Amino acid sequence: MMNSGSVKHLAGHPFDRRDFLKVLGWGGAAVALSGCGNGSVEDGKETVVSYVETNDYMIPSISVYFNSTCAQCDAGCSITGRIREGRVLKLEGNPNSAINRGKTCGLGQAGVQHHYNPDRVREPLLRNGDQGEAITWEKAYALIAEKLNGVSGEEIAFLTGGVSGHLKVLLGNYLDSFGSKNHFVYEAVGPAVLRAANKKSYGVEMPRFNINKAKVVLSFGADFLGAWISPVHFSQQYAQFRKGVDGQRGVLVQIESKMTLTGANADRWLVVRPGTEGILALGIINALGTATGDIAAAVKGYDKARVSKDTGVSAEQIDKIVALLKERTPSLVLAGSAAEGYAHGSQNAAAINLLNQVLGNVGKTVEAAAVVPFPQMAPATGNTFALKTLNDGLNAGKYKVLFSYAANPVFTAPGAMKFKDNLAKAGFKVAFTHYLDETAMQADLVLPLDSALEDWGTQVPEYMAEGAQINIQQPLMEKLHANTRGMGDILLALIKLRRADDYKKYDDYYAYLRAAVLQNKGALGGGVADDDTFWNETLSKGIIKLASAAHALSGKAGAAGLSLPAPSAIDAQYPLQLIPSVNASLRDGRNTNQPWLQESPDPLTTIVWDSWVEIHPRKAAELGIVEGDIVEVTGKNGSIKVQAYLFPGIHPDAISIPLGRGHEALGRYAKGYGVNPFQILDMVFDKETGELALHETRVKVSKTGSRVIVVKDEGPAGGSQMGKKIAARLPSDKVKLSEEVYYVG
Amino acid sequence: MKDISEDIAWAKINTDVLKSLENPRKLYWVILLIAIAMVGVAAGCEVYQYNTGMGVSNKNNTHVWGLYIATFIFWIGMSHSGTLLSAILHLMHADWRKPIYRFAEAMTTFSLMTAGLFVAVHLGRVWQIYYALPYPNGRQVWPNFQSPLLWDAMAIFTYLSSSILFLYVGMIPDLAICRDHLHPGWRKTLYTALSLGWEGTDRQWRNFRVTYLTIACFLIPLAVSVHSIVASDFAMSQQPGWHITSFPPYFVAGALYSGCAAIITLFIILRYVFKFEEYMTLPILKKIVRLTFAIAMVWTYLNLIEYASVWYGHDQASKDVLIQKATGVYAPFWWMMNFCGSIVPLILFFKRFQTHIPVLFAVSLLLNMGMWLERWMIVAPTFSHGYYPWTWDHDQWPSLVQWGMVFGSFGWFTLLFMVFCKVFPSVSMYEVKEMVYHRSQATKKLEVTGNLAAAGKGAH
Amino acid sequence: MSVSNLLENWSDFRHTHPVDDVPHNPYKWAMSIDLDACSGCNACSVACYAENNLPVVGKDKYAHGYAMHWMRIERYWDEDGRDFPDQGAQFLPMMCQQCEAAPCETVCPVGATNHTPDGINSQIYNRCIGSRYCEANCPYKVRYFNWYDYPTTDNVWPAEMNQQLNPDVTVRGKGVMEKCTFCIQRVTVAKNNAKNEGRLVHDGEVWTACQQACPTGAITFGNLVDPESKVHKQWQAQQVELAKDAQTKDKEEGGSELRGYRIFEELRPYPSVMYLERVRESAV
Ligand SMILES: Nc1nc2c(c(=O)[nH]1)N[C@H]1C(S)=C(S)[C@@H](COP(=O)(O)OP(=O)(O)OC[C@H]3O[C@@H](n4cnc5c(=O)[nH]c(N)nc54)[C@H](O)[C@@H]3O)O[C@H]1N2
Ligand SMILES: Nc1nc2c(c(=O)[nH]1)N[C@H]1C(S)=C(S)[C@@H](COP(=O)(O)OP(=O)(O)OC[C@H]3O[C@@H](n4cnc5c(=O)[nH]c(N)nc54)[C@H](O)[C@@H]3O)O[C@H]1N2
Ligand code: SF4
Ligand code: SF4
Ligand code: SF4
Ligand code: SF4
Ligand code: SF4
Repeated sequence: MMNSGSVKHLAGHPFDRRDFLKVLGWGGAAVALSGCGNGSVEDGKETVVSYVETNDYMIPSISVYFNSTCAQCDAGCSITGRIREGRVLKLEGNPNSAINRGKTCGLGQAGVQHHYNPDRVREPLLRNGDQGEAITWEKAYALIAEKLNGVSGEEIAFLTGGVSGHLKVLLGNYLDSFGSKNHFVYEAVGPAVLRAANKKSYGVEMPRFNINKAKVVLSFGADFLGAWISPVHFSQQYAQFRKGVDGQRGVLVQIESKMTLTGANADRWLVVRPGTEGILALGIINALGTATGDIAAAVKGYDKARVSKDTGVSAEQIDKIVALLKERTPSLVLAGSAAEGYAHGSQNAAAINLLNQVLGNVGKTVEAAAVVPFPQMAPATGNTFALKTLNDGLNAGKYKVLFSYAANPVFTAPGAMKFKDNLAKAGFKVAFTHYLDETAMQADLVLPLDSALEDWGTQVPEYMAEGAQINIQQPLMEKLHANTRGMGDILLALIKLRRADDYKKYDDYYAYLRAAVLQNKGALGGGVADDDTFWNETLSKGIIKLASAAHALSGKAGAAGLSLPAPSAIDAQYPLQLIPSVNASLRDGRNTNQPWLQESPDPLTTIVWDSWVEIHPRKAAELGIVEGDIVEVTGKNGSIKVQAYLFPGIHPDAISIPLGRGHEALGRYAKGYGVNPFQILDMVFDKETGELALHETRVKVSKTGSRVIVVKDEGPAGGSQMGKKIAARLPSDKVKLSEEVYYVG
Repeated sequence: MKDISEDIAWAKINTDVLKSLENPRKLYWVILLIAIAMVGVAAGCEVYQYNTGMGVSNKNNTHVWGLYIATFIFWIGMSHSGTLLSAILHLMHADWRKPIYRFAEAMTTFSLMTAGLFVAVHLGRVWQIYYALPYPNGRQVWPNFQSPLLWDAMAIFTYLSSSILFLYVGMIPDLAICRDHLHPGWRKTLYTALSLGWEGTDRQWRNFRVTYLTIACFLIPLAVSVHSIVASDFAMSQQPGWHITSFPPYFVAGALYSGCAAIITLFIILRYVFKFEEYMTLPILKKIVRLTFAIAMVWTYLNLIEYASVWYGHDQASKDVLIQKATGVYAPFWWMMNFCGSIVPLILFFKRFQTHIPVLFAVSLLLNMGMWLERWMIVAPTFSHGYYPWTWDHDQWPSLVQWGMVFGSFGWFTLLFMVFCKVFPSVSMYEVKEMVYHRSQATKKLEVTGNLAAAGKGAH
Repeated sequence: MSVSNLLENWSDFRHTHPVDDVPHNPYKWAMSIDLDACSGCNACSVACYAENNLPVVGKDKYAHGYAMHWMRIERYWDEDGRDFPDQGAQFLPMMCQQCEAAPCETVCPVGATNHTPDGINSQIYNRCIGSRYCEANCPYKVRYFNWYDYPTTDNVWPAEMNQQLNPDVTVRGKGVMEKCTFCIQRVTVAKNNAKNEGRLVHDGEVWTACQQACPTGAITFGNLVDPESKVHKQWQAQQVELAKDAQTKDKEEGGSELRGYRIFEELRPYPSVMYLERVRESAV
């Protein structure tokens, strides 16, 4: 096949069609593709290529498939893009990945709308008053060099979302090149508390959770079918779990204050007073009666009567759970974001994790994850604590130059942090971005990125499903816009400005990536294959599977240091707890500009294109609120006006507003739809990790007097089947599951 | 109460009727302009809808049909007036029909022409409407003969062509009169052409009678079938509230009912506008009114049958639709429909009101409003509350585009009718003469036998 | 073109549910959806948008009931008056059930929606005149009408977005009806490939887009005639027979312990989609 020498200008210049073909030729299954270009014959921009006289392997109307990695969230599912006539049309899961085994979530499906989004930034933009003025890349790079000139490492900050793989390495090297340690990794809704709690309980931040091996899953607000950690992976496990281990159908008990998608799928959904998840966990340990030593001592006070009173979960219900846990093993207990979002979030998570230990699940359903043997490529995971640190620095005027990539804190930071104001104090702000989001709008220089379907990269997922793997990201088609650049290429160009000698052998990020992979061919399973063959195979598979050891897992954390506060009393002024919910499609709002997701109904409320506040019907009746009432949700840090939706799956003392909407920028499909609850969050932090306690905001709700018709799929019959057998259901003792024919996957 | 006098001179009949063809009064122009403006509204709506898409009519994926279909049924119903008065009463030798059947036939034709427009307006792709015709084509693609909608198209087409023929044939002797009485001009040319050389010879009369009778015989089953078929659009479907066996007779009864009511309305208007008091006499009106009352009772009976069969049947979905009609968002219209259709006609039971023109005028309008509502209440509630609860939609309200089209259809009908009245004699001259002749013969006979007094007819 | 041709071949023009002299051969496409696996996540629905060029109508039009989701996920609650839905919700993926005796087909005046010999209710956009009678008569209300001309509507497929459109699937203009096609374009490719190779489509060769995305594997699609197909085996294990309007197993005292059922079977559309009942643990 071709040799690497023919690969030129993969970034930095518009693709040359023939070169592009070759690159993909390596990766693809012996078929290449041709582009129809992105103009048209009419506007004179199209390169007219006859299908009768085509490039080597191209068969018009026949699709070709290339593997890459989904960039819609950090779970790292592998995808296969369907390409026809040079355009990527559809993304499917790559069956070879243990993470997603050929499947995707709805968010992943919408990846093409990230790529084809009409609101992508197409040129480097330099701030000129309120306007962005298009400039050349050369000028942009020169400007950055100029701004960095004479600035010390401490005065430079680099804010990113979660990064991993070679990009992380390159970024680290870049920061090193001016001696800066200021890499702030920020994830607005990442499982930051959980990581810390897991580290304490199990010795690792992210063990494997084998839902498929459990007979009972007791989940404290872990929305593993929705937005939690690796939802496609867990959904597949869940399906197996439902089919049963040894013919016994798995039982899911979900404990939370606001019903998540996972809660909606539970055999028993238990509403719990917000923040008392840990108390319930200790109560269950106590009722199990199997704990000994310091654990037994720690849970002694948590008798059923007290726990029931504190949590609102009845004693009979606790008995039933205990009986179930005793009868069916192994089980699995999950501590989800709902339990973590409090000032005592770490304590909640620790108490819940303790339950796994007591039940003997550690090592069975909680297993050690495989380690990627390249620590420098391991994911840099983020949290709000990092943002807080950055924010303090900005406030103190510490930073002369701020880079931001894959994070949108102006949208996601709690309003009370005044991040936007503090950001203005940075001298020069550079945003690497796909769209003009809220943060890019504040930047001085906006550098447009290639879409995830045009760019090269490697990714190491935080949650490893089975063996360790490195995911390959490769272009699925020619660039849509001539003047966007890959993040890797930009970093390479920037680092060359500082360490030209070290990097001059890499024409572009592609060359860097290839060289870096081939350098470790042995460790990456390349064996004796020649470089081209190995590289081609790697691209073709889209995944590098690694033989590697697993982390050591410890299951003996004990109950030391465990102390859970009594449930907080209701605040007379702000009587309701605000639960900002994380929706599987919109997450922290970075994908809100993908119209398929805007129009994909929220599974529980079926609302589209707007935000809503969930209120329990009983509470709503008390407040005289009906569906569609525009209510004002007021907390200590401001208020938002949003339509009400009466929702039975929420604690009457809590309300819930989904995150992700309420953009003031981000393009036509995002801007102006819904409200942004991040804006009114109270600045309460987890006592141990310093992480933002997402669920600690207290609010009150008042009617504004106006009312709208809620735009949703559900009709006037609501969730009623009107006595018809539409979505039917059987109790488990009425089915013979063992006699069924099952197909999972 | 004065009936048509039997000694009225034939020549006077001619002059009286032909007077209606003379230059119109100002009022005529005013009404005509209003009618044209109404058509303009509908045309504007249609252009907008055609360009933008059916969405502007504010139906939706649950509620796919709306006022267009309801109003279509309404106008088809109206069309039964002419057939009833002309064909049925002709066969029954009810000679009182004679002064009024012409305009009733015209009503038939024009309401069918109006109804047809609603079929077109309703289609998402009216420009492909010919796909519904079984026209010869190389690909041997036929329409679907299983679809009641296709039967509809055919039945309406046949009914319309037959009605036009019936109207025209029945008019030939009168067209000849017009030809003979008019000064040269376009009208004379028109009448000359249309009267087909009518001279009133014996042979011509004989042929005429046979032809007219044949078409009349043909028309009656057609009229029954056309509304039965419209009923089939619903009854043959599987939807709750529609899938009802009694729908065909119920629809036919409803059609005759609204047709009769419309005749009363137009009778009163024509009588007043053209000063036809001598021909459109109160005894005739009384007969129509009594007929209307009878049909109202038949309709009411069939209506109650429908409710009862749903109520005592075991299809819960149909029952739910009925309950929804009576208690849901459509309740005001549904109750109004029942009131107008079954309670209001009770007034017609009282002799005093059977010739009371203002009351009759109001009643006839109410009856027709009831009949229009009936159609709407057949179409809409089934959509809003069908089998599948998830897709229920109780909020669908027709947009102004739909209302505009319905509104315009009345203008369109009026326009056609007004033009007709000025171009063609709206009272049959030759049949009135016949009637007068027959009556005078009868009177003579009574005089001869000396039974005049006994027959209750005093000297005149 | 002749009337005699019409009369002679009339029965060939219409395929309905299998009768003895016209069995499905060699294909009858069918589905089963396991409601105990389905999590209601909506991935299938989004995948259908991506595969089948479904327009995103926007908030205002959605509010008017113009949504075009061929696959919609319905969410039901228990109705026993409890304060909290403590047994979760019930999700139901609902799309065209590809009825064997489809109520939508018989009423279409122009035969724009009709039955394919392999048992799919097909929709011929070019032929459709937009009477909407089919949707009026569909018991499941799963047909979606182009109330507007979405290809030319602002922000439905603006430049670049239009490049994602699947060239194997027509972009529908205003005034035509559309609905789930069982991803007929995928079925056709598989059938043609098989034909070229002189064989039948084997099980697993063709996936619908919704099936392919579904993270829980709740959807199974295949050839019901093929005794080796998963879908056949599932139907058989559940004792659901295509040509019955009431299943024998349901007549047992106290109901059957099998989960397979079809929605509105009693209306006799003979749907090609079998659902498997959701299960709820009785012990908690
Ligand atoms: N496998 C296979 N091969 C076939 C056939 C088949 O069925 N299968 N069919 C055969 C038949 S019947 C035919 S006609 C040929 C068609 O073969 P070609 O003539 O090659 O047809 P296309 O590929 O449709 O169009 C040729 C090019 O014309 C460009 N083009 C479009 N409009 C214009 C224009 O206005 N000006 C210019 N300069 N260019 C324009 C298009 O972008 C395209 O690149 O293929 C033949 N080959
Ligand atoms: N969308 C689209 N439309 C096009 C074109 C396009 O490029 N794209 N190209 C246009 C052009 S240039 C052309 S020539 C036309 C072609 O239009 P068609 O002639 O309709 O094209 P095909 O689909 O190639 O062939 C028609 C059928 O012939 C069958 N067939 C093959 N061999 C035989 C045989 O020996 N005997 C019989 N009886 N049947 C056989 C095939 O199975 C196929 O079903 O399409 C035109 N329309
Ligand atoms: S979970 Fe969904 S969005 Fe995240 S990587 Fe996997 S497919 Fe993509
Ligand atoms: S589900 Fe509806 S659209 Fe689909 S075949 Fe049946 S009747 Fe037709
Ligand atoms: S909308 Fe189209 S497919 Fe449906 S009945 Fe009318 S013509 Fe047939
Ligand atoms: S089978 Fe295809 S068309 Fe039907 S719902 Fe699934 S993806 Fe959509
Ligand atoms: S993708 Fe699968 S699990 Fe998700 S809603 Fe659809 S059928 Fe259910």
